[in-house]
Amino acid sequence: MTLTGLLGFVFILIFFGLMMLFVVSGRSRPGVNLRQIPAFTKLRRAIGLAVEAGSRLHVSIGRGGVIGTQSASAFVGLSMLERLAGSASTGDKPPIATSGDGVLGVLAQDTLQGTYRRIGLGEQFDPTSSQVVGLTPFSFAAGTIPLVSDKKTGANILAGSFGSEVALITDAGERSGNLTLAGTDNLPAQSIIYATADEPLIGEELYAGGAYLNVGPLHEASLQAQDVLRWSLVAVILLGTIAKLFGLDVILAQLFEGLL
Amino acid sequence: MKFRAPLSVAIAIGVGIIVLLGYFFGANSAGQPTILGILRDYFLQGAVVVAGMALLVGVFNLTSAHAKKIRQGGGALYSLVTVLALAITLVIGTFDLVMTYLSGEPGLTWTRWIFENIQLPIETSLMAVLVVSLTYAATRLLSRRLNFMSAVFAGFVFILLVTSIPALAAQLGPIADIRSWIMSVPAVGGARGLLLGVALGTIATGIRILVGVDRPYGG
Repeated sequence: MTLTGLLGFVFILIFFGLMMLFVVSGRSRPGVNLRQIPAFTKLRRAIGLAVEAGSRLHVSIGRGGVIGTQSASAFVGLSMLERLAGSASTGDKPPIATSGDGVLGVLAQDTLQGTYRRIGLGEQFDPTSSQVVGLTPFSFAAGTIPLVSDKKTGANILAGSFGSEVALITDAGERSGNLTLAGTDNLPAQSIIYATADEPLIGEELYAGGAYLNVGPLHEASLQAQDVLRWSLVAVILLGTIAKLFGLDVILAQLFEGLL
Repeated sequence: MKFRAPLSVAIAIGVGIIVLLGYFFGANSAGQPTILGILRDYFLQGAVVVAGMALLVGVFNLTSAHAKKIRQGGGALYSLVTVLALAITLVIGTFDLVMTYLSGEPGLTWTRWIFENIQLPIETSLMAVLVVSLTYAATRLLSRRLNFMSAVFAGFVFILLVTSIPALAAQLGPIADIRSWIMSVPAVGGARGLLLGVALGTIATGIRILVGVDRPYGG
């Protein structure tokens, strides 16, 4: 057992403890303490419009796999897909999901099927409503663009792991006049999304999707836990900066060396 | 085989916890793998195999979606080209594999030809289209979303682009120094801040999956 491993495990335990604390203390009531993120406000409106106008929601969960850190953004995309499928399934055109990875394609299909079955519309599930559109970055973009540009598509939600190729998808969304909401874990792609998407989700905003779409109390509790830990980390970074400024970093390094 | 929800959730949570513990306590102080580390590697290798199989499912899904489009008629030509390209590549790839096996020498000549003469030029062309799309988006940013942050974003992009031109950078002097300051101070600081948010979001998502609240595996 290493000190780094132990510290990491303790950090996870604290995170989990805070999430449970916020759930139990009831501070995670729906909508409480959530700052306005215009993307989610517009998304809720887009869901209503899609149902009324008979258009379809297109949810893309990216091309990150399930093994590795990219999986988290894809899982957020799946949570959003589940929620959106439940909300928009009563429309004329049920939501469609695209991905650039075989496992994600299977999971998206399973998510859609499970959602339809749960709301009693199991027979309406179409296996091709979840599509693996391409396995390389540009083939994924090329396969997604026709769905984004489709006149029957009312809004595009890109929530997952995307690279620079996302610019081609958001550009197609802009040309078709549909709302394009996009978020990714990839930093260069985030800057591209900021410049090209109607409603960009920057940094941790993507991971807040579940809380803003009222997926469940633990989603809101996790946002509150993230806030607490973010400010704690900011404090640690500031203290570290001050320690470095006054030459205390050498003493601290020696102290930790001793602990190791 | 389809697992019932409580069983699939229990298996997913159990395996998830073992992999998480294996990540932190996978090796002892001497660097030797512990039982948790061995189990973690075993499960991850299993996941890689499943992901490989899922790739085939993905290809089948792609084919069936395009076959449906061909039957319905909408955008049938592109779908037909996609399915034909898939079939031809599959046949040539299989032929190449068999020939490589029979000759006993590294080959895959035809597959490499397809990659170098079809896929690579197409993806390079799309890269060029991407450059145009990004330039267009940068020019439209201020008209679409006129606020302080967009102005800062556009200003920084402009400075970085101008100072990236080698002939100009040599003549600009102090402005070129601004580029290195932007790259090493605000850009790095901003990137770290964003990464911090992404990391916290990733942990939160992982915990939600571990406790079975988010179930991307169905159930």
